[in-house]
Amino acid sequence: MSLLESLRFTRGDTAIHNLDPRVKFMMTLVFFSISVMFLHIVPLAFVFLIQIPLVLKAKVFSEWSKSIKGAAFISGFIFVTNMVSFYYFRDGNLTWDLVEYTLSLTMRFIVLVTSFSVFFITTSPDKLSLALEKAKVPYEFNFAFITAIRFVPVLADEAQTIMDAQRSRGLELDTGNFLKRIRNYIPILLPLIINSIRRSLELAEAMESRAFGATEDRTNLYELRLTGTDKLVLIVITAFFATALYSRLYLPAFPSLLGFGPVF
Amino acid sequence: MGIVEVKNLSYTYPNASKPAIEDICLSINPGEFVLLTGPSGCGKTTFCRSLNGLIPKFYNGTLTGSVHIAGLDVSEHSTMELAQHIGLIFQNPDNQIFALTVEKDIAFGLENLGISKAEMHREIDWASETTGIDSLRLRATHELSGGQKQRLTIASVLAMHPSIIVMDEPTSFLDPVGAEHIFNVLDLLNKEYGMTIIIIEHRIDIAAKYVNRIIVFDEGRVRSDGKPGLILAQEDTRLLGVGIPRILELAMRFDDHDRRFSDLPLTSTQFYDQITACLRKKEFTSKKSLLPPDMLDLVGEHHHSPLIQARNIVFDYPGNVHALRDVDLTINHGDYVAIMGENGAGKTTLVKHFNGLLRPKEGEILLDGEDISKQSVAQLARRVGLVFQNPDDQLFEESVEKEIAFALRNFGMNEESIEKRVTWALNLLDLNRYRERSPFILSGGERKRVALASVLAWDPDILVLDEPTIGQDYGQKERLRHFLTQLRTQGKTVVIVTHDVEFVAESQPHIVLMAGGNVVAEGSTKSIMNQTELLAQCSVAQPEITRLFNDLESYGLPKDVVDVDEAYQLLKRKIEEAE
Repeated sequence: MSLLESLRFTRGDTAIHNLDPRVKFMMTLVFFSISVMFLHIVPLAFVFLIQIPLVLKAKVFSEWSKSIKGAAFISGFIFVTNMVSFYYFRDGNLTWDLVEYTLSLTMRFIVLVTSFSVFFITTSPDKLSLALEKAKVPYEFNFAFITAIRFVPVLADEAQTIMDAQRSRGLELDTGNFLKRIRNYIPILLPLIINSIRRSLELAEAMESRAFGATEDRTNLYELRLTGTDKLVLIVITAFFATALYSRLYLPAFPSLLGFGPVF
Repeated sequence: MGIVEVKNLSYTYPNASKPAIEDICLSINPGEFVLLTGPSGCGKTTFCRSLNGLIPKFYNGTLTGSVHIAGLDVSEHSTMELAQHIGLIFQNPDNQIFALTVEKDIAFGLENLGISKAEMHREIDWASETTGIDSLRLRATHELSGGQKQRLTIASVLAMHPSIIVMDEPTSFLDPVGAEHIFNVLDLLNKEYGMTIIIIEHRIDIAAKYVNRIIVFDEGRVRSDGKPGLILAQEDTRLLGVGIPRILELAMRFDDHDRRFSDLPLTSTQFYDQITACLRKKEFTSKKSLLPPDMLDLVGEHHHSPLIQARNIVFDYPGNVHALRDVDLTINHGDYVAIMGENGAGKTTLVKHFNGLLRPKEGEILLDGEDISKQSVAQLARRVGLVFQNPDDQLFEESVEKEIAFALRNFGMNEESIEKRVTWALNLLDLNRYRERSPFILSGGERKRVALASVLAWDPDILVLDEPTIGQDYGQKERLRHFLTQLRTQGKTVVIVTHDVEFVAESQPHIVLMAGGNVVAEGSTKSIMNQTELLAQCSVAQPEITRLFNDLESYGLPKDVVDVDEAYQLLKRKIEEAE
């Protein structure tokens, strides 16, 4: 949960925030594909390190570190399960290159989390929806997407109020066995669902009253236009990707850093 | 021809046995400011939804008769086409804000119509300035306060330049000052831009000052229609359970009111202007006003023993919002307390501490002298019954009976006493005939009563009601007031959180005023309602009667008068003296 929570958009006015969402997404994709192309600690660490200045530039270090903390458990899990399974798979020979290999796998996950968290933390849903619109995603989907985000805080408040109201009527959530605990949530879920149905009707009425779907040529208050910076960033990441691709296909693989000897 | 022309309009909801509105004929002229009122379920909301075609297009059902808006036959045009002529604003602002930022939400309707970007910016500028939210343009919509959200919904409709604005109970969720703000915006639109405004409102005291026509609905029909003073002075209107502004009620008490008031007053100023002709300036000072206002409280305090004591409570919500800064409060056995103050002052946060839903960061809460920090919410709830504002946030069972039994089962009572208590609670709130019904098919007022019954059933010592009068019509409020009196005679301690000044003026509780997470004052209704500056600081409006007596001070009348009876007696004596 904390991992998802840390991906929430944080308002800001930095070069990273103001980057065109399409360019930013391309950048994220480049980091993503490089981390998939290589399975070696050196290029992965490199991709990880070059993202640090981006995080600092966007002034979202604390948000980003939260997402990394959220990912720490899964990282640990990846490391341990890989280690253990390879250890048995290779007849109990624990070698240094195996350690390095599992470290790379873990690193790959952290690189992925970083690139996507920077994207989501610095891209407002409004801009995201604009990008979707440019990508010819039908407006209905776009609207549903924005509405979903819009109502997250509303629903969270409502859930809290319902929980308070039912606890004031003596409902205890954390008592009883597993099944009883699940049943404890019925008095909370039912009002929440019924309120949501009622709300969706009210929303539909309000949409109609505000001319939703009146014309095919819907306009948008905000527009996306590539700036000079956007174009520059686009060139840089393309070049970066090309270099990475070239090195993967034509240059010799990176040597192992820790050697091949047994760990103990 | 009027801008709204309704001829023989009748409408029946699908599967309903009788029509919601019947044979309505109305004509509203451009530039009118109309108040629709009537008891809950009288058809006023249905009527508004028929104006832009939501009824019958959205709801189906059968409609006969015709509606013309700005010359357009509503049945021949779609709701979205009509949106440019008539803007509908619904009760709950949260359910009509679609965008994540303020300016984007104002643009929503314009985008749908395919308006160019440059024009959109012009409209947004105009709409946000007119409604006074231009400084909030880039703010996230979920960060706005209730009043700001409601102004945003007006701006969003305004941007589409409708000639008519229809609002369904726009101020239900707002404190009096916020409500007044909304009416000021509507007044500006009406006077400055000549817009036709139709509103539904239970807060007649505020609304009557602004509107120039009142239409009273009852059982789906128009009962009366005309100038505010005239309509509200009619005996019929009162009998229907429409709340009459207190000032008008006071004027009506005078047997010869036709002679004394050439123009029936709706505000304290109008009353003042007319009554002063019959009064002589300061001749004697009433002894009553020499009494220090807090005397009664001081005497009373020694007779009661403390029940709830909050000692230096500090509470923060996550994200460092100081909700309570340093609250010190004692509620005694048998007290009747009203906690008042602006939206966000910390009123609800405070009462959630009484049954342990929230635990203080610093300080302690004592219940009968015992620290409650070790007790669970369920344990505390048996003694402190908390009834929430919106019954829909708690009703979930398939029958009213089970709904009321829910808490009793949670407390582990045996079936026999559950049965007894359920019957008792049902009778107490006059719900026995709904025993087997689903709570969801009941009306709003009835649902509110079920929620109240479900708490009363376990007979808690202290009853805390959060905003019990919101969305309730006058008759329902009167019943609630009598019910609370009844509880108090049984020795129950009652705490209400409310914005409703008139309700408070009539039931005269001990008032606790809150602002910015602090208790800023407490005292009797009379003493608190007299402190004009303090009230303004807490966004609490002074009752009109008190306002009048503040103006009349130079005539030697006491200032601290809050209810109609006392006001009448004082004025009558004074007039007799003058004559």
